[in-house]
Amino acid sequence: MFIHNFKYSLKTLFRNKALIFWTFAFPIILGTFFNMAFSNIESSEKLDIINIAIIKNDDFNNNEIFKTAFEELSDKNNDDRLFETRYTTEEEAKKLLEDEEIVGYMKLVNDEPKLTFTTSGINETIFKYVSEEIAQTSNIIKNLSEEEIKKEMIAGNYNIDYESIYNNVIELTEEDDVRLNNVSNSNLGYTMIEFYTLIAMACLYGGILGAVAINQNLANMTNQGKRVSVSPTSKGKIILSSVLASYITQLVGVALLFLYTIFVLKVDYGNKLGLDIALAMAGSLAGLSLGVAVATTIKSNDNVKTGIIIAITMLGCFLSGMMGITMKYIIDKNIPIINKLNPASMITDGFYSLYYYDTLDRYIFDIGSLLIFAFVLIAISYISLRRQKYDSI
Amino acid sequence: MKNIIEVKNLTKKYKELKAVDDLSFEVHEGEILGLLGPNGSGKSTTINCLLSLLNYSNGSIKIFGKEMKPDSYDLKSKIGVVFQEVSVFDELTVYENIDYFCGLYISDKETKKKYIEDAISLVGLEDFKKFYPKKLSGGLLRRLNIACGIAHKPKLIFLDEPTVAVDPQSRNNILDGIKKLRDDGATIVYTTHYMEEVEILCDRVIILDKGKILAAGTTDELKELAKIEEKISIEVNDLETKYIDKIKELKNVDDVKYNGNILLITYKKGKNNLVEIMEYLKENRIKYNKIFSERPTLNDVFLELTGKELRD
Repeated sequence: MFIHNFKYSLKTLFRNKALIFWTFAFPIILGTFFNMAFSNIESSEKLDIINIAIIKNDDFNNNEIFKTAFEELSDKNNDDRLFETRYTTEEEAKKLLEDEEIVGYMKLVNDEPKLTFTTSGINETIFKYVSEEIAQTSNIIKNLSEEEIKKEMIAGNYNIDYESIYNNVIELTEEDDVRLNNVSNSNLGYTMIEFYTLIAMACLYGGILGAVAINQNLANMTNQGKRVSVSPTSKGKIILSSVLASYITQLVGVALLFLYTIFVLKVDYGNKLGLDIALAMAGSLAGLSLGVAVATTIKSNDNVKTGIIIAITMLGCFLSGMMGITMKYIIDKNIPIINKLNPASMITDGFYSLYYYDTLDRYIFDIGSLLIFAFVLIAISYISLRRQKYDSI
Repeated sequence: MKNIIEVKNLTKKYKELKAVDDLSFEVHEGEILGLLGPNGSGKSTTINCLLSLLNYSNGSIKIFGKEMKPDSYDLKSKIGVVFQEVSVFDELTVYENIDYFCGLYISDKETKKKYIEDAISLVGLEDFKKFYPKKLSGGLLRRLNIACGIAHKPKLIFLDEPTVAVDPQSRNNILDGIKKLRDDGATIVYTTHYMEEVEILCDRVIILDKGKILAAGTTDELKELAKIEEKISIEVNDLETKYIDKIKELKNVDDVKYNGNILLITYKKGKNNLVEIMEYLKENRIKYNKIFSERPTLNDVFLELTGKELRD
């Protein structure tokens, strides 16, 4: 019965034109538009080196982390350098900005970077993003150092070995994902960011397939579900086989998107394609579980459920940077919890981390988050699916 | 006679509304039991309770001598259901739809293949096997709906208003198919609000209204419940009121109505009513075009019991 239902679930899914459009065709069409629209923007805005200025005040001079980071990111011997940095007074920086010799300048005030721009574009965003990253790292290092010193003092050791503490802190930060060197591993590509969110969208659109799998097997959802429910096949077996069929259909859709973007749009996903695929699989599972949860907890028709899933997906992708990386940056900075709970953000973040970081810590965290997200939603759905009889159908 | 279904004191409430109110009945092996009642009388709710799809507030349900529960797979394997709503997949062809639903009951490929062909033949869809449901007419779609419900050759079949919105040709085809299922040994529970179908098909009938059983028995037994014995309708133009009053006074006449140009006379009992009324019309030189005499129908029984028509 499992194979029988699985086979027919695949048939119904692959022959459903609306489903195929949303899960297969729509991401490919959108990807094509992204490629057409953003490749021009990228070529017009792409600068190998971004001209910036830094106000050389006491705050900056006393902040070793900022100094070191910008020196490295501006080092002419560094193949991956991002910036051509000029260290100036504020007046000089203003003049340079007016003369459009730099895209912006940074003034460090109480270890917080204050950035000034006249326009907004990808270069300004990169400058802002990198500055915030450095500030964040600086804070982490500062806090860790204070904690280490506190620990030594509580232990009664007032003869503090600062070199040892420094080494400990560096070790701790290396365990985390805050290493600054890695930020410059690759140049940020605007189109890449769009493609990451596009894949996230394709993964989450699998929720529509998940909802269909549930709907067509529940007596209180569809007429077909009533008929399936009176058959002598266990509900668990039916639903599991249908959901598996949905997952496979979804993976086919995501695989097609990968193939299309790689071979037709010539998108370079880096040299960790296996890990990219694993992330897409986890993302698809999260999308599927979202659809299953919507289908089981909301009693409404297919169109309403599809609308809800599309709305959640589009909002998630928007917040994770589909319409511009700045949105992700704003959310990360002001309401980070949203992106911690946003599966689209988990997926895009996983791709960023694979592309920009040497270590897999952040990637593993993102995959783990997606699996937890899927598990929680499936658990919620399971409670609802356990019902054998209904009050009304 | 062996009982295939035993229902005792079944009650189903939707908040304060009793959709099914203390229903008790049995279905005997090999019979077609008709559940007759207007829309909203509780027919479909009763079926859904019997199938363990709906929770019910009170009562017990036994099918094939065992309590019916959602996981009674041994019982479910012997049951076939044709729901009121067409319950097929638009993405599958006629053959695939039947194959899918039959496959949930029958795993042996050869047996399943034979059963599918039998079902297709029973409902007369031989020429439409590769058609998708959207390409079928309403009648053919209903036939497919039936085939999907009975292809696995169940011993007990629930047919919930299978002929709603069906053309006369398809209806006859469907009714013939149902008779054949009964002849092949199936026990059938048939819900409808078409009294003609009940009279043609059913061995016994339960009349339901507002979730309650109003009457039960064979069609002849039920007709005995009607106070009238004969209805005569006459097409007559411009009948004066004085004649209507006179007709009311004739022997055995229960009621007289004159609507449009139809004079409807109902008789309590008695014989030769038709002859007597024709003589009366002749004596009074009242011209008439057509005249019909008919026995009371189940609708009259329903009218008698509830004061309203079945299709109200």
